[in-house]
Amino acid sequence: MKQYDVTVIGGGPAGLAAAVEAHKNGAKVLLVEREARLGGILKQCIHDGFGLVRFGEKLTGPEYAQRFMQEFKDLQIEASTLTFVTKIERSSEGFLLTLVNREGLSKILSQTIILATGCRERTAKQVFIHGTRPAGVFTAGTAQNFVNLCGCMPTKKCVILGSGDIGLIMARRLTLEGAQVLGVYEIQPTPSGLTRNIHQCLYDYDIPLHLSHTVTRVFGHDRLTGVEVAQVDDNKRPIEETKQFIECDALILSVGLIPENEIAENLGIQTDPHTKGPFCDQNLQTLHDGIFSCGNALHVNDLVDYVSESGETAGRNAAKWKRFNRSFASIEPSDGISYVVPQRINVADENMNTILYFRSAKVFDKVTLQILINEKCVFEKKYNHLRPPEMERLPFDFTAFGLKNTDTVKLLIKEDAQ
Amino acid sequence: MKIKKLKNKLKKSFPAFDVREENNCRIVTGESDNWNDIINACSMCVSKDKNVHVVNDIRYTGKAEEPMRTPVEQDSFLEGKEPDVLVIGGGISGATILRELSKWKVDALLVEKESDLAMHASGRNDGEIHPGVDLAKGSLKQHYVLLGNRLFPDLSDKLDVPFDRCGQYACFTQGALIGFVGLYALKRKYIDGCSDTKIISGRTLRQKEPNSNPDFKFALYNPSAGCICPYGLTIACAENAVQNGAAVSLNTVVTGMTVENGKITAVQTNRGTLHPKIVINAAGVFAEEIAKMANDRFYSIHPRRGTNSILDRKAGRLMNGIASVKVLELHSGHTKGGGLLHTVHGNILAGPDAVETNERENFATTPESINTVFTKQKVTVPDLTERDIITYFTGVRAPDFEEDFIIENGRNTKNLIHCAAIQSPGLTTAPAVAKDVARMAIDILQAQKLVLRNDRFKSERKAPPRLAEMSVAKRNRLIKENPDYGQIVCRCEEISKGEIIDALNAPICVPTVDGVKKRVRPGMGRCQGGFCSPLVAQIIAEHQGIPLEQVTKAGEKAFLLFGETKGGDAQ
Amino acid sequence: MKEMVCIVCPNGCLLHIDTDGNDLKISGQKCKKGLAFAKTEMTAPMRTVCSTVKTAFKDVPVLPVRTDREIPKEKIFSVMAALNSFVLQERCGIGEVLIEKICGTDADIIATSNILKE
Repeated sequence: MKQYDVTVIGGGPAGLAAAVEAHKNGAKVLLVEREARLGGILKQCIHDGFGLVRFGEKLTGPEYAQRFMQEFKDLQIEASTLTFVTKIERSSEGFLLTLVNREGLSKILSQTIILATGCRERTAKQVFIHGTRPAGVFTAGTAQNFVNLCGCMPTKKCVILGSGDIGLIMARRLTLEGAQVLGVYEIQPTPSGLTRNIHQCLYDYDIPLHLSHTVTRVFGHDRLTGVEVAQVDDNKRPIEETKQFIECDALILSVGLIPENEIAENLGIQTDPHTKGPFCDQNLQTLHDGIFSCGNALHVNDLVDYVSESGETAGRNAAKWKRFNRSFASIEPSDGISYVVPQRINVADENMNTILYFRSAKVFDKVTLQILINEKCVFEKKYNHLRPPEMERLPFDFTAFGLKNTDTVKLLIKEDAQ
Repeated sequence: MKIKKLKNKLKKSFPAFDVREENNCRIVTGESDNWNDIINACSMCVSKDKNVHVVNDIRYTGKAEEPMRTPVEQDSFLEGKEPDVLVIGGGISGATILRELSKWKVDALLVEKESDLAMHASGRNDGEIHPGVDLAKGSLKQHYVLLGNRLFPDLSDKLDVPFDRCGQYACFTQGALIGFVGLYALKRKYIDGCSDTKIISGRTLRQKEPNSNPDFKFALYNPSAGCICPYGLTIACAENAVQNGAAVSLNTVVTGMTVENGKITAVQTNRGTLHPKIVINAAGVFAEEIAKMANDRFYSIHPRRGTNSILDRKAGRLMNGIASVKVLELHSGHTKGGGLLHTVHGNILAGPDAVETNERENFATTPESINTVFTKQKVTVPDLTERDIITYFTGVRAPDFEEDFIIENGRNTKNLIHCAAIQSPGLTTAPAVAKDVARMAIDILQAQKLVLRNDRFKSERKAPPRLAEMSVAKRNRLIKENPDYGQIVCRCEEISKGEIIDALNAPICVPTVDGVKKRVRPGMGRCQGGFCSPLVAQIIAEHQGIPLEQVTKAGEKAFLLFGETKGGDAQ
Repeated sequence: MKEMVCIVCPNGCLLHIDTDGNDLKISGQKCKKGLAFAKTEMTAPMRTVCSTVKTAFKDVPVLPVRTDREIPKEKIFSVMAALNSFVLQERCGIGEVLIEKICGTDADIIATSNILKE
């Protein structure tokens, strides 16, 4: 049986970065990828805007992925593509993974596992869209796959529900390919996607954005023939009088991403209800010894640059991993913060230098972020704007604070007195 | 009740309606824009005489139903054919009957207007195999449910369709009812023949179903209840019939019939006119239309909608069998209010509700239906939550006003057999009903010619292998033989490319995304095909040798794509 | 005064532009890229076009491409039309130029994926 120090599950940007970094730190690495090619979802994200933080350039998804794929290849790291992890068991020697591919089933032994499985899209039924079940209801990612990889048009005239970034990107992409995008409908009073995408994807092409609106019903028996939209009240309930029929041939959904954690769930790894990803410590090790998580499987990132960064953190720490008893202080999101990653600090680790990733719960202007340890403020930072679509990154070293496992760290937002 | 008395009673409640009796039919007439009034009036006219049926001739002036949906195909594929038996309707009734007919040396043809089998009620129900505990002696339903239930272990085994005899619990919070329910159980057990009926304590219930409501004091338990995949079974029956020489023609709608001297001499379809010796009406919600075409309409179907939700497999632990809370109330209509059921695929299914409707093909879901079911079933299992829902669907049942099956020869038309008004527990009863219906057909045929048994009948049918459920050794062996079995396409359900190709190579090939999904389940999981539907479409295109944009979701009109993005020529 | 959102980077700075005769007074940007963006956006807005081209290869029906630099915004749809009429006949690698000086701009169309070379 083949043995590895680190097995990375998922060959997207997080997994590639994790594998490269683990390799550089001396580990014997295997990367397992379900699809035929590495690169993950970036393969179909042909628009630009990737890599500004990391490379200082505006790259397209495939170009960004190529940089990591090239490095991965140059370092001659082992990859197993078209391969699916069907089972993970713990043994005294490490983790036993059962892989399946066109050669058959095989077992490998690995000291550590990095979950870099990315995320999936929320579906129409998960946002409780009712009506018929015709062809023509696509998640934005599925539509993107059809257009950018298959070269086929999933619509000529559509409505987009949700202003998540993929939805905005697809509004522009479909318009460029000659489709009519009648409007983007967002149930929240503020957009879910990045502001620049609202501008360069919608406003550049005169595509209307309807905030506090949702799609309530789908029509059509075979192919979709239209949707019903409505304005929603403060409790997100559709207002009857505002219901309106819109004739179109497709409904494209960009209503949220959920970390893909089937493997973590099967292993009984505790997940954070806020992020839907596993709880992790500063080394991005989950609460299950030897299993790490990174990228969008850990929490949904706004930029791929941070996905790669978390992959590297997980890769580096997995390579250095040794079994020892961890002991945790917890980090909790408080007023105005919707989540913070990592959710734990391993206080038994002498290095408590951490990159905090967090999102605000709503739009804030001119506020102060505070870090509290046991209710005592130890750090403050002023922000001009905080918007939920934009993830914030904040390096913070807890080492000097002598954290104990009974301590609680809180992140909160203080609105400045006007 | 004498018809005159009934007339008066009806007039009192519904002055606009009238009723008359002729030829063993109670024909209700009038006009109304209120569908519920029509249903209530017709139900009021039901006779105690089982031979007499209510025929609804009340003109509904409310929002008209859309015309019956028909296939696009127009050809002469069936022109001039003279099958011994023509089965109309590819639901569980039609498919089981076709399989029974294939045990004989007869030329049997099943026509179905949809692009696949089990597209109406048979594909849109909860898949419960009922014990019959809710039925009293005397009805066809009750007769066949006891017979049918027993056939499932053998049938599912032969047809390679997973069946789970998981048991059913009717749960009570009111401990004081135990005496009454106990008597009911004894009657069912000893008088009605539902012999597995028993009462179990709340504690026993919780041992079997740890997530059930701790307030349940006792439950009515039937270990013989089970579940099966209803469309899986329908497809399996039809495939087995085809393997044994029967024929299935999808996308084929019956548009008319020629009846001469009490006999159907021709049946018109969109694919040509045929001349069957016998016609079996298993047309579900359209059975009354078929009866009318055959000049043999003596009953009326009133559609009843029900919505089921399917929960993520991670919620599968909530229930191991089938359960529902029962509250003692005056039985209001035929609403069962649904239940919770652990499917053979490991999901939890919640529902269905029951709503009268004039629309036979309106499968649209509404938030109200989901709310009704969840409000009730949260009592059964307190941890139940809408957040675990991955999808929901609506089916339309096809009851008559007598709320019993109609399984009999035509009354005016001699070469017609009705297998109509099949509603719950129609899936359970189907294998038993099919034996009788096929026998009736063979009896008619035998009066005309010698009909022999099909001595080459093979009762076994193999489903595409389920690689993920196999032992390592077996799975490895199959992958070595066919590497496509090692290439996972659907990550949620762990379905390989090889299994999808098997589905396309099955005796009845339905090369659509939904067709493949119903057979081998890619897209049935939590991502609902988000990742795999483009891949499945590509595999279909490759297998069928068609461009990707010609692959549809279901049937010709449910197209997925509008052609290529790039013409390659100046636009 | 005019307001616009800088689309150069994910910060999405809200820029304020005061026109004072021929002079532009710009504020709100976190970096100098914002300054440059506002100036061109006010005079001649520029965009990068990312799309695909049809290929002659069955396994890869379309190949992702982009303009190697920004082009005038009003030329976006002419560039799309030109891309739609192009069919790639040879397997090319990432970064290779497929069309030079598209639609009379300074921009070349380059491949952004290496899939055809793998």
